[in-house]
Amino acid sequence: TVSGTVTESGTGLPIPGVNIIVQGTSTGTTTDFDGNYTLSNLNENDVLVYSFLGFAAKEIVYAGQTRLDVQLDESEATLEEVVLIGYGSTTRQDATGAVEKISPESFNRGAVVSPETLIAGKSAGVRITPSSEPGGGGEIRIRGGSSLSGNNSPLIVVDGIPLDQRGVQGVRNQLNAINPEEIEDFVILKDAAATSIYGSRASNGVILITTKRGSLASGFNLEYDLKASVGQITDKVNVLNADQFRTLINDTQGTDPSLLGNTSTDWQDQIYRTSIGAIHNLTLSEGFENFTYRVNFNRTDQQGVLQTDLYERNAVNLVLTQNLLDNDLKLTLNAKGIVDRNRFADQGAIGAAVSFDPTQPVYDPTSPFDGFFEFRTGDTTMDEMRQATRNPVAMLQQNDNNAENLRTITNLNVDYRLPFLDGLRFNLNAGIDYSELEGEQFRPLTSAVIGEPVAFENYYWGMNRNTLLDFYFNYRTEVDAINTKLDLTAGHSFQEFYIQSQSRFTQNSELTTFPEAINRNALESYFARASFDISNRYLISASFRRDGSSRFSEENRWANFPSVSVGWKIMNEPFMQNSNTFSDLKLRAGYGVTGNQEIGPNYGYLGLYTPSQGGARVQFGYNPDGSRRFVNTIRPEEFDANLKWEELQTYNAGIDFGFFNNRFTGSVDAYYRETKDLLATVPVPAGANLSDFLTTNVGQTVSRGVEIGLNGLLVNTEDFNWSVNYNLTFQDLEITQLSLGENPDFFIPQGGISGGVGNTIQLWKEGYDPTTFFVFRQVYNEQGQPIEGAYVDVNGDNQITEADRQPYKKATPDFYMGFTNSLSYKDFDLSFTFRGNFNNYVYNNTQSSNGFVGAGTITPQPYYSNLNSNVLESNFRNNQFFSDYYIQRADFVRLDNLSLGYLIPNNRDDVAVRVSLTGTNLFVITNYEGLDPEISNGIDNNFYPRTRNVVLGLNFIF
Amino acid sequence: CQDSLDLSPEDNRATAGSALQDAATYEEFLAKLYAGLSLSGQQGPAGNPDLQGLDEGFSNYVRLFFNLQELTTDEALIGWNDGTVYDLHYQSWTAGNEFVRTMYSRLLYQVSLVNEFLRQTDPASLDDRGVPGELRSTIEDYRAEARFLRALSYYHALDLFGRPAFVTEQDPTGAFLPPQTSKEDLFSYIESELLAIENEIIDAKQNEYGRADRAAVWMLLSKLYLNAEVYTGNARYAEVIEYTQKTINSGYQIADVPYSYLFMADNDQNGAQNEIIFPVTYDGLNTQSYGGTTYIIHAAIGGDMDPSEFGVNGGWAGLRTTQQFVDTFPNGAESEDLRAMFFTEGQNKEVTRIAPFTEGYAVTKFTNMRSDGTPGSDPSGEFPDTDFPMFRLADAYLMYAEAVVRGGGGSPAQAATYINELRERAYGDNSGDIAAADLTLNFILAERARELYWEGHRRTDLIRFNRFSDNGIWAFKGGVPQGATTSAFRDLFPIPAAELGVNTNLTQNPGY
Repeated sequence: TVSGTVTESGTGLPIPGVNIIVQGTSTGTTTDFDGNYTLSNLNENDVLVYSFLGFAAKEIVYAGQTRLDVQLDESEATLEEVVLIGYGSTTRQDATGAVEKISPESFNRGAVVSPETLIAGKSAGVRITPSSEPGGGGEIRIRGGSSLSGNNSPLIVVDGIPLDQRGVQGVRNQLNAINPEEIEDFVILKDAAATSIYGSRASNGVILITTKRGSLASGFNLEYDLKASVGQITDKVNVLNADQFRTLINDTQGTDPSLLGNTSTDWQDQIYRTSIGAIHNLTLSEGFENFTYRVNFNRTDQQGVLQTDLYERNAVNLVLTQNLLDNDLKLTLNAKGIVDRNRFADQGAIGAAVSFDPTQPVYDPTSPFDGFFEFRTGDTTMDEMRQATRNPVAMLQQNDNNAENLRTITNLNVDYRLPFLDGLRFNLNAGIDYSELEGEQFRPLTSAVIGEPVAFENYYWGMNRNTLLDFYFNYRTEVDAINTKLDLTAGHSFQEFYIQSQSRFTQNSELTTFPEAINRNALESYFARASFDISNRYLISASFRRDGSSRFSEENRWANFPSVSVGWKIMNEPFMQNSNTFSDLKLRAGYGVTGNQEIGPNYGYLGLYTPSQGGARVQFGYNPDGSRRFVNTIRPEEFDANLKWEELQTYNAGIDFGFFNNRFTGSVDAYYRETKDLLATVPVPAGANLSDFLTTNVGQTVSRGVEIGLNGLLVNTEDFNWSVNYNLTFQDLEITQLSLGENPDFFIPQGGISGGVGNTIQLWKEGYDPTTFFVFRQVYNEQGQPIEGAYVDVNGDNQITEADRQPYKKATPDFYMGFTNSLSYKDFDLSFTFRGNFNNYVYNNTQSSNGFVGAGTITPQPYYSNLNSNVLESNFRNNQFFSDYYIQRADFVRLDNLSLGYLIPNNRDDVAVRVSLTGTNLFVITNYEGLDPEISNGIDNNFYPRTRNVVLGLNFIF
Repeated sequence: CQDSLDLSPEDNRATAGSALQDAATYEEFLAKLYAGLSLSGQQGPAGNPDLQGLDEGFSNYVRLFFNLQELTTDEALIGWNDGTVYDLHYQSWTAGNEFVRTMYSRLLYQVSLVNEFLRQTDPASLDDRGVPGELRSTIEDYRAEARFLRALSYYHALDLFGRPAFVTEQDPTGAFLPPQTSKEDLFSYIESELLAIENEIIDAKQNEYGRADRAAVWMLLSKLYLNAEVYTGNARYAEVIEYTQKTINSGYQIADVPYSYLFMADNDQNGAQNEIIFPVTYDGLNTQSYGGTTYIIHAAIGGDMDPSEFGVNGGWAGLRTTQQFVDTFPNGAESEDLRAMFFTEGQNKEVTRIAPFTEGYAVTKFTNMRSDGTPGSDPSGEFPDTDFPMFRLADAYLMYAEAVVRGGGGSPAQAATYINELRERAYGDNSGDIAAADLTLNFILAERARELYWEGHRRTDLIRFNRFSDNGIWAFKGGVPQGATTSAFRDLFPIPAAELGVNTNLTQNPGY
């Protein structure tokens, strides 16, 4: 009898499911999940054949050993690769849910600061809108999100720790705690069959991020990587130049041209700069027989294109693994330490630059505001016009807002193979995600932004603590009688979130301390999963989770989230064995229930009382000394005692296929989802509660979609390789029920805009997508010119009223795609990724808020504001905020990045040097008139412009 | 482990059970009911708002009340581009108007606050918490004031919307659909509530400044009866005489100070407090809001006006008045009547465009200067100390006179005496005095405008005199410079469209 472990030669990871047969016989076995096998009744000189799809087969002559560990070399195909799923793992061919793994070779290249950028455009059904701020967080939507005002971001699990979906205070992007260079892979769980093991937090999909670790029995490895980047804005908002502005003011009746200056300033040029960034990574790793370590140090400096904006990260990532008890006990310690520093620029400068009078200078020697020009009522004293636009350069330079966040994400994983029952494992995971924030902001007295006789100071601090303890048992066995492999998991999890924050800032000329806010919530869960693989052809999997959340009353606290899914590995049917075309064919189908408990308030079912702060006291008579006596107030808060879980039901069907030995592979998934008891913050009937808005369960949505992912190795020769990945997603989301009543005209206004006060441009209404715009239909003259104030009288009552405002178009695309090409020729490699959205619309708020004459000339004080150049086309005199003239088609295709690399040849095996040059955001093809068509909420209002970057990369491996 | 899912607040928030253990909390809760009029949230001037439907400063009770009662009339117009604010002066508002919607929300929010207070202070709840006897009698006083405040807001709801949703402390707190009331039922409810607390509330002039007393109850009854014909079709002018008489004899006096003192930063101390029966109090340091008098003072400053002369740090350049209102005073802005408080330099009297601040005279009635010529207490000059006089005795005089003319009884000679007391203050001598025979309805409407402009009475007055919608024109009424009449249905505001959607028990007012 011989036993042993089969591992990947590259990584040292065990390979489950390896076929081992004695050549020329039918005797054989397969490795278990941990790559272990036992084979008895052997004779010396028997030839053992180890084979596994995706790996080169290996033949070994048996020489009577009792232990035979084998390493297999990876070949092209990856069908059998291990894919993490919640609380366990499976293989690609055994997965029954819509699960996609994305590995580093597919990642976007460039000076990537935020991890989600790595996978933008890489996966069907996953739409990532990257941020443009330095270190900013992109918006991630898996299947479009399912909630309304609830959180629509997916649950992100880092090395087994689910992160707080609300993020961490004081950072631009909580995922920046994970160094993109240290990510081993992303696994995206899209449908409920895959996600419902995460129960109450899984409705928006789950992303599992695994970071790299050392490999057993590998030598000392030192790697240094540098990426240096420069970035620039690609375009500016079209505004009038000084001459055009002067002409317009002169031509406008009732204006006073003497208020104009006599210079010519392009304010947008003044606030943007060429941004410089550098990312250093130094990594040490080594693997011994039972122990590995990997240490990564990362330093990132990234300027924003907006003057003064800065992001810095210093991070250490340490991973230790230790195998004990003859590999029965595996310990993994994963510790990340991050110092995240930001200087936050005053982003109000973006809007100010667009509207500041271009005839005025940046500097004014007579100005008491540190020499910055400001609109003033006098000549010498600090008497700024209170309502005038502030000098955007001064807004940036006179604001010093720095924050530092110290954070650690640490967990210890214990995996123990129980000795008394073969195939039974116990896994325990204890983790903490702890961060502390400290920030301070100053504006000098000489800043015109301050309307007070003292300088502005703002100190803010806080703490986030997320603690996790979970464990599960996993049992795998094979029941020969029914030719079935069993995989059973059951466990328990407890997670608690504690957030504390406080601030102290200048209010009414006094440095005032505001009370500490504490929020704690907790989740307790039981979960189980059973998977059956019958005859290696038919897969059945069922999971169950029961979650309890502190956010709901005892009656509504617990909810069950089941799922069931099936798969049919057609490829393994006898009739497919001789197919020369197909190399893989599998059908999948699943149904499951997930939830959403990210509803905002922690105590939304309890009626709370909040005391007042600051200048919110009421005079009740006089004190004995004759002074006014003031009493603080205490406010009863709105609550819904019946608050309950949001529930999402998902049906998913999919097919996986591969042709020609998996040179071409692909998946198609189709889904149908219904969200019930949608949690949203909506208007409540006046008088029924203690506010005008209440977080409650309000209605239903239905979403559907089709996701297509295709991979192909177009050319595969020794010197030249060319592979492509294309993914295409069609999706549709519709509100099917809203409100407590049944009025079909009911709608909830959404999408605040700049212009007026409290104005909105979108609505939630039954039968419509939640990003639908709500507008008047503009009437045009024969020349195609919009007629100011003329709208279509939709209901034909001969007047234009609210009733003529109509739902029209939407911000989310009907379909979107990603297209990646990777080419290599000898030591050169080239890759590029296109990304595109289609049939999406944007409300051009920069045009609507500044694109009419009155916007620049009707001002409360004697100054003027610049106008969007669109005013020359529309000739609007007054605001037309709600005209569909501003709803503009925003389809686009973007060349996200293009990267060229070269591995510098050398004579030493143990040294590799690679250089690369990457361009990101190189061009965008679009008809959209504004700065950038890719705006996630569909309202284009002075957003931080995306930059075009050029990145030089250097990588040394010793 | 499961106990760790039973979580309650650990910061300064509390559940009702733990908050109301403390005697002081009842006073703070009462203060919140008053703050419902003056403030907009728990962190003055802004932050942690009561209502989320509109920017905090905009959703302040007094500010919304001012907008709906004054901007819709000849007394005021505003030049800002704030959403649908022009529609108020144009009288072209729709059911989607955010100011109309937010006023409705604010009124019912105030009602809900009072209901919660009454639920939490009913005898059973007090027994549960073991509240001792002496505190209980204080709480009884509070409860009477709470009911007064609810009656006041329901009165405003009756006047503005006619048929709002109706909830009392008998209803739960949740997401149910409150029923709609009728004008007649709501009138009766307000009347019965006021009569019920008339003898429970603290006697006139005996309560702390800023809190309601018996005179405030009588004042509100007088106003309710004065407009009864509008609300229910049944005139009640005899009761107006009865309750204005009680008010007039309650100890309040027409302040023996210049008219301008009534609207100054120290109007709680400069003598004006003897006349102000029910103020909405403000304080530059302690009661800060972007609504209330902060709005009324700042928004009225623009053009060539010097903000420092009004004790504030800047003008918001919005509010002015029409030429028609200026002409209510003999000789207009140059009137001998010192109540004609206008700023004319650089301003056109005629309003030919709505936006520029210089179109129409500015109004200088409200200020953050004290009577001694110094500014209010906020050193930054942002927030005034000036209290907003919701009810003052002069209005009782004018209501008495009107009820006399409308046949409610009383004495015409007495009425003339009352009016002359006001006019002598206005003219500084008796040169403006009138005779009893001069008391006509037209005179009273004009005199009310001269005495009470910008204090939130004008729309109600114009409706009572049938001059608001299908009669009466002024600049930009109807959306045209010369003014045009509108339809009579505009005497009531629409039930907000958003509200009709969420509460299917409600039906729209006719015409919308």
